[in-house]
Amino acid sequence: MEVQLKGRPIVSGLSRGSALVSKKPLGFLGGVDPETGTVTEKNHDLQGTSVRETILCFPHGHGSTVGSYILYSLARKGVGPKAIVNDVADPVVVVGAVIAEIPMVDKIDLSQIETGDIVEVNGETGIVKVVKGEELCT
Amino acid sequence: MHLTREEEGIYDGEQGWAYQTAMRMLVKLGDLFGATRLIRIESSHISGVSYKTIGDAPVEFLEALIQAGAKSKVAATANPAGFDYGHLAEMAAMPGIQDRQLKIIDLYERMGVNPVLTCTPYYVRKPRRASHLAWAESSAVTYANSLLGSWTNREGAPSALAAALIGKTPDCGMHRPENRQANIFIKVKTNPANEAEFGALGIYLGKMLKDKVPVIEGLGYPKETDLKQLGAAMASSGMTSIFYPNQSCAKQSGRLESITVERKELKEASESLSTTREEPDMVFVGCPHCSFNELKQIAQNIKVKKVGEGLRFWVCTSRHVRERAKPYVDVIEHAGGVVISDTCAVVTWLKELGVDTLMTNSAKTAYYAPTLNGVGVTFASLARCIKAVCRE
Repeated sequence: MEVQLKGRPIVSGLSRGSALVSKKPLGFLGGVDPETGTVTEKNHDLQGTSVRETILCFPHGHGSTVGSYILYSLARKGVGPKAIVNDVADPVVVVGAVIAEIPMVDKIDLSQIETGDIVEVNGETGIVKVVKGEELCT
Repeated sequence: MHLTREEEGIYDGEQGWAYQTAMRMLVKLGDLFGATRLIRIESSHISGVSYKTIGDAPVEFLEALIQAGAKSKVAATANPAGFDYGHLAEMAAMPGIQDRQLKIIDLYERMGVNPVLTCTPYYVRKPRRASHLAWAESSAVTYANSLLGSWTNREGAPSALAAALIGKTPDCGMHRPENRQANIFIKVKTNPANEAEFGALGIYLGKMLKDKVPVIEGLGYPKETDLKQLGAAMASSGMTSIFYPNQSCAKQSGRLESITVERKELKEASESLSTTREEPDMVFVGCPHCSFNELKQIAQNIKVKKVGEGLRFWVCTSRHVRERAKPYVDVIEHAGGVVISDTCAVVTWLKELGVDTLMTNSAKTAYYAPTLNGVGVTFASLARCIKAVCRE
C-alpha cells in the first residue's frame, strides 16, 4: 500500500530509504554523536538508534543553533540521514539541511509514517511517498 | 523572496560555494519567516565559539568555508571562548582542549571575524540607532533592541555567520516595525531593589511572556546594569528579543493585556534561583560581561578589603573594557580578585577547577549554571557578593 503525502519543500533533492520515526523533538548538539550518528539524547525515543542513511522523521528540532553544524559533520562522515521529514521546520534543522545538502520536507503528518516504512522524499515538490509493508519497486 | 540580480547570482553559485551556502541559509530562513527581501546589516555578532559548549561541531564547516574563500562583508564580532589565555593559571588545566579552542578562534578570525570574545559587543562598538544587525547571543540582542534602539533578530550561530558573509539578513521579525510593537503591559507593584532583583524579575517574566513584547512599568529609576540584567534574564527563560522599560503609555496600556507583579512573586523568583545554602567556592560577577562602570563600582566597594583565602573571586569583562578600566582592575586584583576576559564562569570548565558552589549576582548564570556547569548556586546582589568575598 502506498500513501502519498504533500508537504512543503524546504531543501531540494530526491532520497529514498527506510524511515526512522520519532515522536519527540530532536536536539543535534549533544543529542546525536557526530562521529557515529547514534542518538544520545537522554529519555529520547530514539536513544541508542543510529540516524545513518535513514529517512529521519521527527516533529521539529530544539536546542542550540550549533546543532546545524552537527548535521553537516554527520553528512560529511557518511553517517547522516538521507532525508529529513518534519512536522514544523525550525531554523536549526533547516540551516543544517541546507549546509549538509540533505533533502528536507515539512508540514507532513508524521502519524502516517512508521519506522521501517520505505519512504521517498522529494525536496523539490514536497511530496513524500510512503510504502507500507513492502519494498518500493526501483 | 525577491532577490536582486546580484543576490540571485550568489544563490546560483557565481561567487563560489561559501557565499552560495550562506545565501541559501538566509533565503531558506527568510522563506520560513515570511521575509520578502534581504536588507543590509551594519554588523554581525557570532555565537558558537566556546569549546565548552560546542566542542568540535563547527570545525569542519568553518574549514570548508575558509577553503572556499569566505570573508565577512561587515564588522563581525565573536562571543566568549572557553579560556582566558592571559589567565591560564586561573583556568582548569586542559592542554589538548586549549589548542582546539585556539583553532576555533583562529578559524573565525581568518574569516574576518574580530575575536573580541565578549557577550557585550555593544561596549566595544556601539551600533547606531535604527541600524539593522544580525546578532546571536540573546542577551546582546535584547540589549541592542531595547536599550540602543538597534534592530536585530535572535540569530543562531550559523545564521549570524551567513549574514556576516553576505552582509545582509532576511527582512522579518524584529526588522519589521509591526513586530516591535508592545503587545502586553506589565505593572510591577514593587521596585526591584538591585540588579539581582531585576534579573529575577526577568526570569519570572521570560517564562510567562515567551516571545511577547512587553512594556514594563514600575521599575523605579533603573541603572543601565539593572536593565542589562533584566533583559539577559528574560531572554534566558523565554524568547524575548525586545522590551520597553518605564514607558508612559497610559493610552496604549488600556488596550493591552495587562499583568501585575507583586513583591511576593519577585521574592519567590529570586529565591528559586538559589539551589544551595553552602559556602561558595567561587563568587562570579560579569554575566553579561561587566561594563566600565560595573568594574568601577566593584573596585570602589572592594577597596580596602581582602578576598578570603581559598575563595575565588572572578570578575568577567571584555578585553576592551578591561584595558580601559585598568586602574579599577588593579584595585580588584590587588584585593585578591581576578579580572577575567574572553570567557566567563559559565562557558569555561568549573568542575575541573574544583568549583562545586557558585555565588553570583547574575540571574542568567543562576538559571544556566546548575545544568551547564553542574554546580550549586547562591543567587545574591553584587553588594552581598562583595561582602561574601571580603573577610575583614
